[in-house]
Amino acid sequence: MNDKVLKIHAENVYKSFGKNEVLKGVSLDVHENEVVVMIGPSGSGKSTFLRAINQLEKIDKGSIIVDNVDVSDPKTNINKVRQRIGMVFQNFNLFNNKNVIDNITYAPLTLKKMTPDEAVEKARRLLVTVGLADREKSPVSQLSGGQKQRLAIARALEMGPDVMLFDEPTSALDPEMVGDVLNVMRNLAKQGMTMIIVTHEMGFARQVADRVVFFDQGVILEDDSPEIIFNQPKNVRAKEFINKIINA
Amino acid sequence: MRKKYYFFITILTIIVGLIIPFSNNTNFGVAADEKSHYTITTDSTYPPFDFQKEKQKEYVGIDMDLLKEIAKIENFTYSVKPMSFNMAAQTVANGQADGIIAGMAITPEREKIYDVSTPYFKTGVVFAVAKNSKIKSYEDLKGKKVALKTGTAAANYALELQKKYNFDVTYFNDSNIMYNDVIEGNSVACFEDQPVMQYAIQTGLKLKIPDQKLGNAGSYGFFVKKGQNSQLLKKFNRGLKKLQDNGKYDQIVDRYLGSAKNSVTKEKKGNLPHYNIATDVTFPPFEIQAKNGKYTGIDMDILESISKSQGFTYTLKPMSFNSATQTVANGQNDGIISGLTVTDERRKVFDFSNTYFRSGFIWAVNKDAKIKNIKDLKNQTVALKTGTGSADYAKSIQKKYGFKIKYFNDSNTMYNDVVVGNSVACFEDEPVMRYAIKNGINLTIPKQTPANTGEYAFAVQKGKNAALLKAFNIGLKELKKSGKYDQIKAKYLGSKADTNKEVGNTKEDNSVWGLLSSNREMFLSGLGNTMLLTVFAILIASVWGLILGIMGVSENRFVRGIYSTIIYIFRGLPLLVLAFFIYIGLPNLTGVKISTFAAGLLTLVLNEGAYTGAFVKGGFDAVDPGQMEAARALGVPYNQAMRGIIMPQGLKIMIPSFINQFIITLKDTSIISAIGFVELTQTGQLLVARTQKGFAVYGIVALIYLIVITVLTWLSKFIEKRLGF
Repeated sequence: MNDKVLKIHAENVYKSFGKNEVLKGVSLDVHENEVVVMIGPSGSGKSTFLRAINQLEKIDKGSIIVDNVDVSDPKTNINKVRQRIGMVFQNFNLFNNKNVIDNITYAPLTLKKMTPDEAVEKARRLLVTVGLADREKSPVSQLSGGQKQRLAIARALEMGPDVMLFDEPTSALDPEMVGDVLNVMRNLAKQGMTMIIVTHEMGFARQVADRVVFFDQGVILEDDSPEIIFNQPKNVRAKEFINKIINA
Repeated sequence: MRKKYYFFITILTIIVGLIIPFSNNTNFGVAADEKSHYTITTDSTYPPFDFQKEKQKEYVGIDMDLLKEIAKIENFTYSVKPMSFNMAAQTVANGQADGIIAGMAITPEREKIYDVSTPYFKTGVVFAVAKNSKIKSYEDLKGKKVALKTGTAAANYALELQKKYNFDVTYFNDSNIMYNDVIEGNSVACFEDQPVMQYAIQTGLKLKIPDQKLGNAGSYGFFVKKGQNSQLLKKFNRGLKKLQDNGKYDQIVDRYLGSAKNSVTKEKKGNLPHYNIATDVTFPPFEIQAKNGKYTGIDMDILESISKSQGFTYTLKPMSFNSATQTVANGQNDGIISGLTVTDERRKVFDFSNTYFRSGFIWAVNKDAKIKNIKDLKNQTVALKTGTGSADYAKSIQKKYGFKIKYFNDSNTMYNDVVVGNSVACFEDEPVMRYAIKNGINLTIPKQTPANTGEYAFAVQKGKNAALLKAFNIGLKELKKSGKYDQIKAKYLGSKADTNKEVGNTKEDNSVWGLLSSNREMFLSGLGNTMLLTVFAILIASVWGLILGIMGVSENRFVRGIYSTIIYIFRGLPLLVLAFFIYIGLPNLTGVKISTFAAGLLTLVLNEGAYTGAFVKGGFDAVDPGQMEAARALGVPYNQAMRGIIMPQGLKIMIPSFINQFIITLKDTSIISAIGFVELTQTGQLLVARTQKGFAVYGIVALIYLIVITVLTWLSKFIEKRLGF
């Protein structure tokens, strides 16, 4: 594993919301082409840690280094770093004032990273891969939940990121919509995208993940391959959690 | 059910509350004349007549002291309700208070609505300028701006001068603000009653009176609502007489004006002999006030013709009939022409001219009536007007002819009662009846001999003004000889040869429609100014509010601080205070003059802009924070994300707030009237001051606002749709 390029290196990360300490010294390395799934009970800090990676949450202590750039350093131009990190939210957060294709082209055009022609051409290709080629001009309010999340993935990919962060991407979806979204993610993983995914979809994690990380009460209790985590977890709390989910 | 019941009661209470003050003839005041406690309104700031002394709650001044002494002598109690002059006058006019003493000049318009006491103070209008001003006379005012106080006699006088001397006027509701406007140099002069001005200057006001010439010399009186509180009026007159007799009156006046009251010189007379002629203008067809404020009528036309032919000039002093006779009898005025009947009693105090008119009581019937003889009135109902000589006469012959009697309070209603056939006849003074018929009342006068005939003549104080009397007699003779006299008579009373029915608009139509049509230009100009102010205020305040709102969501803490401070100040300040501060305070600070429009606009922009800024920030804040996160996660900087994602969505949220704010802005323009901008509300105030028809005028004003607001709302909704929201 260690022959791969280190993409993300987090060390001893602390974060509090007021008196509530959410991250209590989290350290994690993610290498190129790796798919890391983060699991754990709600409130364990996995989403906060994910959002700290692109600095949507500022951390109190420790450091997070993405592609050799310290994102927790106030001197860093965070906007530059974020352009290389795609993010997909639980609630999609599509731009309500824009239609499908404009959602995708908004960032490159605003940041003048592409010409309009380039942006549209790339957006159309992405729409094909996420299965929304026929909805180019639709207002986002007319899309179903699954379509919205697939559009959100396409939007995140438009800027050509080399890391993708997924924050419970299927939690807000109706069960029949989940499969389509997971398929898109599965294809991404096959193409070698570096991905960090917060999810409760254990089947998907087992299939796609290179590593599964178990979060509990602000710390990582176990970091293993999916086979070990799901079949014979070393940590007691991880075992309890996985049993609960699988037998639910 | 209970809720409905309470709702119903509330509505009923509101309606009753609205109606009672405006119903003139309700009998709520049955016992009013026997009461001994009265509510007296006064102007809260009208020194030296009415004002609050420093650190004292009690109101003092010439008016207040007089009232106090009179109440003591006449043994009644009263409570004083200080308010703005307009309100004070209105409150009495609609019967909510018993009387008003507020340095209120006796004018013919007011005598239509009020009963007035004997004059208690002689006054006139002067103008004052800043201490260093070079203005010496009316001529110097040409093209300059002059400050007036709404609804005062001084303002009316200035408006008369305006035509001749061509100055601009600006209005205020308060003397102090008016004075300040002159001191600040926004206006070059203000018109004010002489004693008031004198007193203000004596107590340190930095103005001077360049010319002590008294304009429109007149008198102050104590007013009660017409036809009511006659006991109070009697008490006041009796008490005033006693005060004047025992010297207390002079003491009171001296207390406030010192010896300065004597420093006023009398109006200068020109080369021609000049006389002050008293008259009663509420006596058509002899004295009628035309819509333009000029006086016409048989008396007026005769006087004018004679003055021209005999080479003298005169100033007309319109007042109540009683005051007119009194002021001539005691020498304050030189002559009286007022449909004055020659009687032996009057001969004791007046010298009469040759008579110029013969009058008497007659009765009139419906045009289609078959009644030809007074005997036909037997068992029929006749209409009379309360308190008139003709009514007394009719009563005196009631038994003889066996008719029934019905009373009315005003002539018009009485005539109409006959026209519609409820009564068969009415009794009236012959010329008055003929004039009314000529002006379209559908009645006719059966052949009869006028009863109780009397002769009208011009009169002067006994033993004085012989030259004037002689001139009048010679002029009258010439007038009759030339046939001009008959022309004048025919003009007002009609004759068989006269086919010209209309005498011009001699009667001011005070109905809602009449007010609206005869003052259309005033209303339109007021509305125009309101619209102008509203449109500019809305546009600029919206832009300013957007800027503020954007500052409010800035990433920079310092910029957000500026936002908070501006909102805190301008949302916190009452609009009225802000208006005064900008119009009066700011020039003081900066030395830069500012027009009422600019000051009003700035006031509105600052105030409405602050409210707009607050809801703009609120609208931005209301956009789902996930939208900002998504944009930021893509690497889009805050400001660009704000512009591209948050603001378009926020603006949509705030559209209803914008429409709401537009309507508020329109309504708030009415507050700008306080600094003298003549918009719709101020127009209404000016009209009420002139016509005293508060209910009708404010009703019209309210309706106009509602119409404009409806249009504005509709327009906003239309634009909202067009923008595709």
